[in-house]
Amino acid sequence: METRTFDNVASLAYFAPELGLIAAVLLLVVWDLASPARLKIAGLVVISLAALAWSGGMGAYFLAKDAGPHELFHGLLAFDRFSNLFRVIFAFVTGAIVLFSVPPRGPGVAPELRRDQGEFFTLILVLSLGMNLMAASRHLLLIYLSLELVSVMSFVLAGFKINDARSSEGALKYVIFGGVASGIMLYGMSWIFGITASMHLGECAARIAALTAQQGKVPEVVFVGTACMLAGFGYKISAAPFHMWTPDVYEGAPTPVTAFLSVGPKAAGFAVLVRFFSDALGAGSASPAVATPWPVLAGCLAMATMTIGNLSALGQENVKRMLAYSSIAHAGYMLLGFSVFSDAGVAAIAFYIVTYCFMNLGAFMVVMAVAEQSGGDETLSAFRGLGRRAPLVAAAMVVFLVSLTGLPPTAGFVGKFYLFSALLTAGGAWRWVLAIVGVVNSVISLFYYARVLRAMYLEKGERTEPVAVRPLLGATTCALAVPTLLLGVYWGPVYDFVASSLSMLR
Amino acid sequence: MATYIPLFLLFLVAAIIALAMFTLTSLLGPRNPTPEKMMPYECGSDSTGGRFVKPSVKFYLTAILFVVFDIEAVLIYPWTVQFRSLGWTGLATMSSFVAMLAVVLVYVWKKGALEWEK
Amino acid sequence: MPSLSALVFLGLAALTLGSAGFVAFSRNIIHSALALLGTFLGIAGLYVTLSADFLAATQVLVYVGGTLVLILFAVMLTSRIAEMKVSNPRGRPVVAFVLVTAVLLVLGRVATRTPWPAEARPAMPSTAKLGHAFLGEYLLPFELGSIVLLGAMIGAVVLARRAVRRAGEKE
Repeated sequence: METRTFDNVASLAYFAPELGLIAAVLLLVVWDLASPARLKIAGLVVISLAALAWSGGMGAYFLAKDAGPHELFHGLLAFDRFSNLFRVIFAFVTGAIVLFSVPPRGPGVAPELRRDQGEFFTLILVLSLGMNLMAASRHLLLIYLSLELVSVMSFVLAGFKINDARSSEGALKYVIFGGVASGIMLYGMSWIFGITASMHLGECAARIAALTAQQGKVPEVVFVGTACMLAGFGYKISAAPFHMWTPDVYEGAPTPVTAFLSVGPKAAGFAVLVRFFSDALGAGSASPAVATPWPVLAGCLAMATMTIGNLSALGQENVKRMLAYSSIAHAGYMLLGFSVFSDAGVAAIAFYIVTYCFMNLGAFMVVMAVAEQSGGDETLSAFRGLGRRAPLVAAAMVVFLVSLTGLPPTAGFVGKFYLFSALLTAGGAWRWVLAIVGVVNSVISLFYYARVLRAMYLEKGERTEPVAVRPLLGATTCALAVPTLLLGVYWGPVYDFVASSLSMLR
Repeated sequence: MATYIPLFLLFLVAAIIALAMFTLTSLLGPRNPTPEKMMPYECGSDSTGGRFVKPSVKFYLTAILFVVFDIEAVLIYPWTVQFRSLGWTGLATMSSFVAMLAVVLVYVWKKGALEWEK
Repeated sequence: MPSLSALVFLGLAALTLGSAGFVAFSRNIIHSALALLGTFLGIAGLYVTLSADFLAATQVLVYVGGTLVLILFAVMLTSRIAEMKVSNPRGRPVVAFVLVTAVLLVLGRVATRTPWPAEARPAMPSTAKLGHAFLGEYLLPFELGSIVLLGAMIGAVVLARRAVRRAGEKE
């Protein structure tokens, strides 16, 4: 179908998922102020889930109808299969987080989210809106705006615990790093804008391609601009030189928020990264006329990110902090697929994101369920003997950890398989080096994931009474473990669906 | 650019005058200090307490709210300049912008963030 | 004899960089915060030289009138900050110096060797054009701005009221 550019009014029909989210945000604010106390939580959850179902459902509907590609709002936003796929993913992730954040009934446990619940759900939905926009932005201005929308909401959510010095410290570090990273990114954007005289990614691409052809190489300006912009993107996906905030923020934030930050904004960061490189820099085009520096740059980032994440995770006693470092390592694996700049690589990243959603959300959910029953203890000692104290949850944790390591028969294995196969299909000595580093890293990761397994099954804790996990958490955990296993043995349709949904407006 | 050069010059002259006054008084003025003169001036009464008084944290929330509404005012301003030529569509879109912020204002109000004593 | 606008630019650049240097190197954090005033004003002036007069006014209004006051509040509200003299512990100045110099050299070299496309300076005042852009081509970012502000406001109320409450409990 021919690509069309819509004006503001005509775009609204294709912007319906986000309009629904905005309406829900306003509704949440009003409900928070006006509802009776008894119905408050139920209403908040219902409104949030309804809006997310609408957003994800519309995304799926657009995908099924094969609508687009169009340019919305005078070319600011892309409406293509890529953005719709991410709408579905983000709606799913946010929905899981909403369930995750439902506070326990009765007094006592988990005081961290008892106050200001209306605000909490509102901010979560605004964040979801920002992620949708990140995946669809085709304009430097909008990339920046949506990135900031996501960042600002994340700062607040990271500091959401009451009277918790770690939470405040994490939020403050997050703000400072975020400010510096987006400052550098804006600076990079100004270089790109300076040389291309346009902020629209398509026009940037045309101008950069003309300059590249004229000079016989990628112009130095573009390289400088892109390197600076990588600071902003790298910060969002917590890639190596910009990962410093991750452990403190993840440890300090309330666990649902940590789970959200480790999956949602990270996936959005990858979406915007992929779109920027393939759209503005034309890095994914079939046969680049000249050698580009991007594969080497991305490869170095990937190696550094994986290695730093995995090595730092080795000595961690706090499981939440360990998972934070592990999420850095996973960003590194996904960057491996990114460094190929082929359709197979992008498909592998997208599929990995899907599997990563299940396994990482699940792992954090188990951490929360366990910590809730052991007085907020998130260290390994809380996991001792869990195999006997809560067999079902422990079994689910085994699935998640095996999947995070990347062993069969789990989704993580299939995801990694596609990443490495994309890498090796592209060929070349550099790719082989990357793949070997990736495999070595997976082996290292086995050590620290296995420590949790050992604690759960081989060690005995002080307490032996069964852990009473909340039914909602237990059910959601199992609901996440099933696809993690299922995708490990029967992934064909899902992979095909994801791979066919990646056509992007260029 | 050229339209604003007089403005720059005005600022420059203002800065020079202010700086000159301070430097000239300290250079030319007669100096003959007594203990009374060296005391901090507090409306004639003897000064009490420490040098540094911590302001109430309540100011901070007010300041934040001020900044946010300040930005909103700035964003609305270009529309007011072109109110006629933007017509009814302009009014409608700006209404949705303002409506969003009205919801926030109601929120802030109801939550008691505008109240001083809490 | 350089032109008047070049002189204005040099003066503003000196003001901006000088105050920024003071912010970074002052040992007293209150002085640092006050020196930001010069940086913000210098930037506003630079915007005017770049034909963005509305942006300059915004800069003065929002940054000088709002953000700077906020920063000063934050500094003064922090207990015993007046006694905190070391705002910037300097670790490994040599490494930092080498790195920064290298980055500056690369940036300077690339910036001077690049054939930047020259564009005519649009006429000022720019406010009317901005009004049309806000409500026309750039309506989406404009309306998104209200959502960013909504989220920021809610977040500010959540975080700051907690601080107020905590201070109230302590008193």
